[in-house]
Amino acid sequence: MKRHCTILGILAGMLMLATSCNHSRKFTQTYYSDNEKTILSIRDRFNRIYDQHPFSLELKDKYLQRIGLEIITDSIKYIYAFNLNEPYLTDTLRRYGFDINAMGDLIIDMQRAHCTWITNLDYYEKYEKKELLFLSVRHQALESFMKPEKYFTMALFNEEQPVDEKNRLLDKEGLSQFRKIHGKVYRSINKRAFYAVTDMYR
Amino acid sequence: MNRYILFFLVTAFLSANRLQAQLPVDSTVKVTQQQRALGFLDSLGKLAPSKYWPNVDPDLFLVNLRTFALTPLRFYEGKGTNFCAYSAITYIPLNYDPDGFSRFMVTLYNTGKAKMGKVWFRPGKAIQEEAGLIRYKGALDISPAGQMWFLCLADRFKGYLNIFNRHFDKGDENTLWASTNFAKFNRMLRRLFRFEVHAKGSDLIRPPVKDLYKYLSGKISEGPIFLYLNNRLLYKKNHVVTRFGIPTHYVLLLDIYKSGDGRINIVYWDYGKKTLQQVPPKLLKKIIYGITHFNPVAKK
Repeated sequence: MKRHCTILGILAGMLMLATSCNHSRKFTQTYYSDNEKTILSIRDRFNRIYDQHPFSLELKDKYLQRIGLEIITDSIKYIYAFNLNEPYLTDTLRRYGFDINAMGDLIIDMQRAHCTWITNLDYYEKYEKKELLFLSVRHQALESFMKPEKYFTMALFNEEQPVDEKNRLLDKEGLSQFRKIHGKVYRSINKRAFYAVTDMYR
Repeated sequence: MNRYILFFLVTAFLSANRLQAQLPVDSTVKVTQQQRALGFLDSLGKLAPSKYWPNVDPDLFLVNLRTFALTPLRFYEGKGTNFCAYSAITYIPLNYDPDGFSRFMVTLYNTGKAKMGKVWFRPGKAIQEEAGLIRYKGALDISPAGQMWFLCLADRFKGYLNIFNRHFDKGDENTLWASTNFAKFNRMLRRLFRFEVHAKGSDLIRPPVKDLYKYLSGKISEGPIFLYLNNRLLYKKNHVVTRFGIPTHYVLLLDIYKSGDGRINIVYWDYGKKTLQQVPPKLLKKIIYGITHFNPVAKK
């Protein structure tokens, strides 16, 4: 009888661990306010560099030391991977005319905010092209036992967006529909910033 | 003497045939084809709204067709859709016969049906009403002509991946309804375009090619090569280390060459852009499940 109780206890514990979402729920509520200054700094730095040369940046590994750089031109996209301490990174940035110091500051900010991916996503409203900043955060607090890794992804718009009573992002042109990004419903952090917890960072 | 004359005539005939088949590859002829397509589109003036395609804006439709003819490599499948296979094969008509493609699309717009190669397209109401309404897919949002073409292809061609979702419902551009297995991809190429298609590989087993780099770099000068890839390894979207290796993405290979450190540079086309990416030879072998070689010289 005692043995059965122990087994049942272990199973119940495992089930609780597997289904618990306290960590991630707390994380989604507090992450933005805790890191707002850094996120806004990332946005400003990224936009400034992006205006000169469109690009996307990835911090590939857990230690945030391996860089994935996508340089976007009108006709071709170059995908590179570097270790942060490699000279090839600065050589490549110099070759394409990037501001090396500004890129260094952006990488430091991204490391500070555990940001694994940053890019601009284009979308169209009434045939007009617009862009939103898309950021993904990879954080220990989002990991849970026996579950695949999750990412806290944020969409930062340049304009205020409509939401429903549950703060879910709505389609501006058809207010009865959700405005999904990568197939996910996003919830508001404020009128321009939205988040979702996703299985993929891009 | 007669034998020599006969030999000469046969040789001349074969050379002429070969020359004719090779014509689309020639850049001057390509320009002429583009000019012919633009001339045809200009001759239409303004299109009236189509009763078959209620949500396709006629002016935007013509702008789209002009863009396709002038800049074929900008053709865009849309973010997060399962249209990559259809986008890849569209390289063939846009590159070799933009005039024919423009005429096909205009016929489809005006009459609700049209024929390409051996295939008749007669899309149903659900498809006709959806074209022009797909949104939040990047530049595909402003390409009703692209939406029409993709929806028609996905509706017309079916493979085993489409068994459980054969009829279109809203949002199916992201689901198995639009998926393409390797056999279906090759079937589309063979039935739509009357040129030889050679394929190696399958959905689950990699092609039996010993030296992939040598094979691909040898074939690339002969005609377009399409690759069926495990894109989750080529372009990672999460940090899971072990993955069940299945291919999910089609690209057009444009160039392949080795760099000094032994890595392989591949230039491929998808999502309306060329991409240059450096991969280790081992990864290249791991990600390629299908190779389709389209021969624009040899007509069937």
